[in-house]
Amino acid sequence: MSHHYLEVRDLRYAYPDGTEALKGISFRLEHGEACALVGANGAGKSTMMLALTGLILPSGGSVDVGGTVLSKKTAGDVRRRIGFVFQDSEDQLFMPTVFDDVAFGPLNQGLSEPEVRKRVSEALAEVGAGHLEERPTYRLSGGEKRAAAIATVLAMLPDILILDEPGSGLDPYGRRLLVHMLRNFRHTRLIATHDLDLVLDVCPRTIVLHEGEVAADGPTAEIFRRPDLLERCRLEVPFRMQN
Amino acid sequence: MHMADALISPEVGGAMWAVTAGLVAWSAKKLKEDPDEGRIPLMGVLGAFIFAAQMINFSIPATGSSGHLGGGMILAALLGPYAAFLTLASVLVVQALFFADGGLLALGCNIFNMGFFTCFVAYPLIYRLIAGTGRNRNRILAASVLSSAAALQLGAFSVVLQTVASGISALPFGTFVLLMQPIHLAIGIVEGFVTAGVILFVLKARPEVLEAAGDRTRLRGVSLRTVLAGLAAAAVLTGGVLSWFASAYPDGLEWSIAKTTGSEELASPGEGIHSTLAGLQEKTAILPDYGFRAGSGDDGAAEASEEAAWPNPDMGTTVSGLAGGAMTLALAGLIGFALRRSAGARK
Amino acid sequence: MSGSIERNLSALAETSDAPGSGMVKSLDPRAKILVTLMFVVAVTSFGKYEVSRLMPFALYPAAMAGLSGVSPGRVLKRTLIAAPFILLVGLFNPLFDRAPLLRIGPLVLTGGWMSFFSIIARSFLAVSAAVLLVFTTRFDSLCLGLERLGTPRVFVVQLLFLWRYIVLFMEEARRMVRAHTLRSWGNRPKISPKVFVSMTGTLLLRTLDRAGRVYRAMRARGFEGEIRMLRPLSFSPSRDGLFLLVWGGYFLVCRLVNLPEFLFRAAAGP
Repeated sequence: MSHHYLEVRDLRYAYPDGTEALKGISFRLEHGEACALVGANGAGKSTMMLALTGLILPSGGSVDVGGTVLSKKTAGDVRRRIGFVFQDSEDQLFMPTVFDDVAFGPLNQGLSEPEVRKRVSEALAEVGAGHLEERPTYRLSGGEKRAAAIATVLAMLPDILILDEPGSGLDPYGRRLLVHMLRNFRHTRLIATHDLDLVLDVCPRTIVLHEGEVAADGPTAEIFRRPDLLERCRLEVPFRMQN
Repeated sequence: MHMADALISPEVGGAMWAVTAGLVAWSAKKLKEDPDEGRIPLMGVLGAFIFAAQMINFSIPATGSSGHLGGGMILAALLGPYAAFLTLASVLVVQALFFADGGLLALGCNIFNMGFFTCFVAYPLIYRLIAGTGRNRNRILAASVLSSAAALQLGAFSVVLQTVASGISALPFGTFVLLMQPIHLAIGIVEGFVTAGVILFVLKARPEVLEAAGDRTRLRGVSLRTVLAGLAAAAVLTGGVLSWFASAYPDGLEWSIAKTTGSEELASPGEGIHSTLAGLQEKTAILPDYGFRAGSGDDGAAEASEEAAWPNPDMGTTVSGLAGGAMTLALAGLIGFALRRSAGARK
Repeated sequence: MSGSIERNLSALAETSDAPGSGMVKSLDPRAKILVTLMFVVAVTSFGKYEVSRLMPFALYPAAMAGLSGVSPGRVLKRTLIAAPFILLVGLFNPLFDRAPLLRIGPLVLTGGWMSFFSIIARSFLAVSAAVLLVFTTRFDSLCLGLERLGTPRVFVVQLLFLWRYIVLFMEEARRMVRAHTLRSWGNRPKISPKVFVSMTGTLLLRTLDRAGRVYRAMRARGFEGEIRMLRPLSFSPSRDGLFLLVWGGYFLVCRLVNLPEFLFRAAAGP
């Protein structure tokens, strides 16, 4: 199953008013790799992730998801392979109950009722939220929302997981659960985050984005030992590596 | 301006429910013909927005009172008449269920009074005509004030008609109108100003928002003539219903007319009313024994004594009825309590 | 005032998970909806002067509250919230309707007062029935019941989305009002129209943004125009059908027969 790769070549995106958000980004993620995407706010992380899933269409370059090249026609196909976890869970949990939300994707995939139920219970089990199945979505705590949001995406059996600031808003316990979860996933993972300590725990590789371009791409430990690079990109050395 | 179940009769409530259900079905159909995927989340969150915004009270300068935003016109401008109508209707359903704002039977009336005139009359015929989807400040202001005022006037008048037609409230038509219309004119004008303010605020930050909403918001496929014809039909229907009830409730309307004209002495109803009533028994056979006679005791045996006893009813009958009523209430309470205890014990 | 936001938020929280329990909760929502409607129609179909004949109807809310464990106090509190406006309109009745109708010893009750009491009775009954419906049936279940009863899909989906996001938006509104309070003078500072416009305008802009993000999230999970849900409803003739028949029958009897009169005479002896 070595086709769960993600190859980005010279990806470009410009806003309607002309400002360039992405200025030619290239990298390749191999099957099962866990890679962090770090950068200052406004560096282009969110824009890039939206472009990878075809939710916005790039103005240049190419995105190759396991053999399918992203285009207007293949966008739907690409979205089936990429599970995108949004930064704000409230945007991602829009159905009345957790069950409805997790079942949303599989139902759109046209699965039968028993298959959908199976996917839902498995996805919820994977994030440890089986007991939340019947809960109304607006009555979840921050951590529960995060887990449910991840489950909604897992239920579609994606090849690649892209997560936008998954740790934001979580208390230390919730964060620890998240780290544990992320480490155990077998999917190819791209995680955009400010939480550099989470990166150290989960991602052997890091891509640093600065002003729409790739400023660095390599082993996490190495990158975090370059304070000059980090500072230039408006980042800091992770807490546990300080002094 | 919410109608309550306590003041409404099943006929009026049912009729308005039929109209509202028809409007909901029609709007749903129109929306299906014009698929717009992004509309589903937009309607949902805009509904939640309106709901929340309605709870924020602001002070009206120069008066001591506070006002709040109805929001229907904003919805219509952003979503178009059909989607706005459904969104408003959904907000009213939630209000009726969760906050006892207006009743379940009266819900049909409320959705009509607050939704129909705003979305299908004031918006297309007034707002769009004056302001279109443009950004002209003065036009938007004029359009908002006029359309809000008109929508509220029509809505308030509807409330009056529905209340009077129901015959539960003894408030005479004239007095009611004199109370409702001026108040709602003031409310409408204030709402118009605030609506214009919000629309202009949003346009400043997001100028394309109304243009994008542009083709959504046309009352597609429905010409002005159709709308006016519909209005005329509604007027005829309401008028017809009202006059039917006027003849059915000679007592109700007569008394209020008598009161407003100041006559103290009530003409003895005698034969006239009784024969009308008897005739109407057949008409209202759907609801057997529909009683609008004063006093209790609708069974045939009491009829004769009732007849003769009016307007000094047989004391025995009605007092015993009241006593029995009190007993029944107590009994109901006891049964409920007992059920609760047993349900608790079972746990 | 933020006070009303608070009150509404807690009112919603109270009913959100249908605190009622037990067999009433497990009834098919369609049955409960229909019975509630029958109840309201029956109650409102009485003549304007009827008071005593409305009393037997109290059995329904009492029984529902009892069976589902909802405290009568809660139900009462809700019915009182609706009261002021109805009382206001109702009070015009004694004013305009002065014909004497009933004499109990030295006390003379006019038609106006009888109809006023009737209005109060109707109000309590109708509102308590609606309140109990909401307390014993979770809203999403209610919506699906409505759909099976013929409500268009678009409208049902709208109700569900609305319910899902209402609390979020009310909390956002509350935060805004609080922020305003913290920066204003006085005990309960008033919001000027200008401030209101910018508050509401900001909220609206955020709403539009959120709509875009939610839509993206929907597309990311394969949404192509139709909301699909897996929510089977099962109507059990023995349980739900019986519920419908028993209460429907009771309402009919109460409507046709003067039970209080009957009860009194039976109790008072021949």
